Amino acid sequence: MNTTQLERECLTYTQYLIGQMPSPYVVNRYLDFHQKLDTMTSLRFDAFDEFLVGVSARGAFWASMTDSYASVFRKDSVVRKKLVVTLALLECAAPSFEALDEVEVRSPMVTSISLAWRAAKYVFLLGSAAVVFTPVRVAMVFSWKPRAEPVLER
Amino acid sequence: MDTIVVIGSGASGVHFALTALRKGRRVLMLDVGHTASEAVRPTDSLNELKRNLPDPVDYFLGSRYESLILPGRTGEYYAFPPSKQHVFKHRPEFQHRASGFAPIYSFGAGGLAEAWTGGCYPFNDSDFKDFPFGYQELAPYYAKVAANIGITGTNDDLASVFPLHGGLMEPLDLDEHSAALLETYKLHREYLKEKFGCLMGRTRVAALKRDMGKRKQCSYCGRCLWGCPSGAFYTPSLTLDECRTYPTFQYVSGLYVDYFRMDGTSKVNCVVAHSANGQTHEFPASSLVLAAGPLCSAKIFLESIHRESGETPQLRGVMDNRQILMPFVNFRMLGRRWNPNSYQYHQVAIAVERGGNYLHGLVTTLKTALIHPLVQTLPFDLGTAISLFRNVHSALGMVNINLPDHRRDENYVTLDVNTTPHRLAIRYRPRPDEPKELKQTISTFRKILWKLGCFAPIRTVHIRPMGASVHYAGTFPMRDKPAPLTCTKYGRSHDVENLYFADGSTFPQLPAKNITLTLMANATRIAEEAF
Repeated sequence: MNTTQLERECLTYTQYLIGQMPSPYVVNRYLDFHQKLDTMTSLRFDAFDEFLVGVSARGAFWASMTDSYASVFRKDSVVRKKLVVTLALLECAAPSFEALDEVEVRSPMVTSISLAWRAAKYVFLLGSAAVVFTPVRVAMVFSWKPRAEPVLER
Repeated sequence: MDTIVVIGSGASGVHFALTALRKGRRVLMLDVGHTASEAVRPTDSLNELKRNLPDPVDYFLGSRYESLILPGRTGEYYAFPPSKQHVFKHRPEFQHRASGFAPIYSFGAGGLAEAWTGGCYPFNDSDFKDFPFGYQELAPYYAKVAANIGITGTNDDLASVFPLHGGLMEPLDLDEHSAALLETYKLHREYLKEKFGCLMGRTRVAALKRDMGKRKQCSYCGRCLWGCPSGAFYTPSLTLDECRTYPTFQYVSGLYVDYFRMDGTSKVNCVVAHSANGQTHEFPASSLVLAAGPLCSAKIFLESIHRESGETPQLRGVMDNRQILMPFVNFRMLGRRWNPNSYQYHQVAIAVERGGNYLHGLVTTLKTALIHPLVQTLPFDLGTAISLFRNVHSALGMVNINLPDHRRDENYVTLDVNTTPHRLAIRYRPRPDEPKELKQTISTFRKILWKLGCFAPIRTVHIRPMGASVHYAGTFPMRDKPAPLTCTKYGRSHDVENLYFADGSTFPQLPAKNITLTLMANATRIAEEAF
């Protein structure tokens, strides 16, 4: 298991999800999650998964690109699972849970407009992600060879 | 003094036992009895817990992340929290094979109601139609149970479907979202009643508005989902603790009851159990009360009959409430703050009477539940989904709709003797017209919610599998006239003279209302009148 890579994932995903750095506790828990074999069995990689995880860890922007793509084309992907793990850890611990619980108090109308704007941004990002990642995926489908054993560690 | 042997420490067993003890009887309770760990930092609110616990992930998700929901998992929205895992901890000796049914068992001290949501809804005469008694006969026992456990409720529109029995406390403080729903209901009350036969009002819940003995009133700490730390929220283990204060009560845990043995005159004379290390224990019994829940009680009965006679009868008529979960968004609550320091289970109930059929809806306004299981289901990337969720959090709710069930011969439990150990075999088939009924029910509730200013996205509606509601009943129905595999109105078997059923086995019909209060009241009635 590449600890540095996992730490980078946790840091990037936390910045992407709540715009903050993770606490050392969350990072440790993220590493712990990956050490537990029974949870790792649900994180089986193929080459494209590996690619998505690698790209997503480059920074918050890339995390949002890969997540947008995965939200439609790869819902159960490893990158999506890792993001959900990060979210679950953040919502259990201080101070990150406060960022998730925070609400900007506005009228229902303003809230609706703001949400519509956010959704439009998502659609744009999804389109861009599809343009970037679909060719990579197609190329990998043609070049990928199955491994004999599921990969539990990277 | 003869000893009554009671098997199981769930809601039925402990209320039977407590009543028998109060009458001066000697009670021996046999139970597997997995227990919970002590409540952590009992005076902390939920958010304080997140700040103060040295390892909050261990508490909220579990040391092996057993309460974490990852993408790709099918089934329920939520996993049970780690603090309630003991309720569902298995015993390997108990095996089952099920078709059309997804049973849930508990071998925990206090039984399945250790993880219940506290709903206490008395049946009315219509709900008792197939019972050999009516509401009036059970009303004093509803009041007794209410006085024992503490039930809140009030005289509102729902009093016409939830009879007002004695012993009710004033309701808990409403959270803002529930209050908004009731306000909107008042504006449309006549229309909703006329168009859908819909009534709304406060729930009846087993949580304390006032101190009761050593139990403190609800402090609105927001920790209900992870287990009430103050005892304000009732669970049967509290009554088990009360039973233990009687010198005539003996509680033997760690035992898995295999079967009972009979003498030549069709009377139980001994109960055979074994401990985890395989050691066999025998307990003489002058009366045996099965209160292990209909499925576990059925297993003990069937195993005993098979050992005595070689027969494997089918216990026909097993029932369960079909449940529909309907998440919704209340437009009026969008963009508001939400208060984590509030009661977390149902505070508002929706009753729908349609064509003589009663449907029972319980509204939970989502507050402190973990968000990752829901956020990942939204059709966006997680960043957008979190942003959306933050703004709709205060507006989110869920209606849990219960449908009634009736005994039908094609649904049964029996013993599969072709395996070692023998397995309980369960077969359930819904009525052929159920899909139509479910469709109508979903449509009706969506329209009701729309009138209340709420939107329920159709794709998020979840029809739970049979067995998920854990309102099992009907395997040994009460009958006035003796018939094989039935019991008297006092729960006494028509087949075995000194064998009693004090759990849901005896219910000849299953109304849509949650049955736990009636289980407790009926067990109290049986102990009071038959012993």
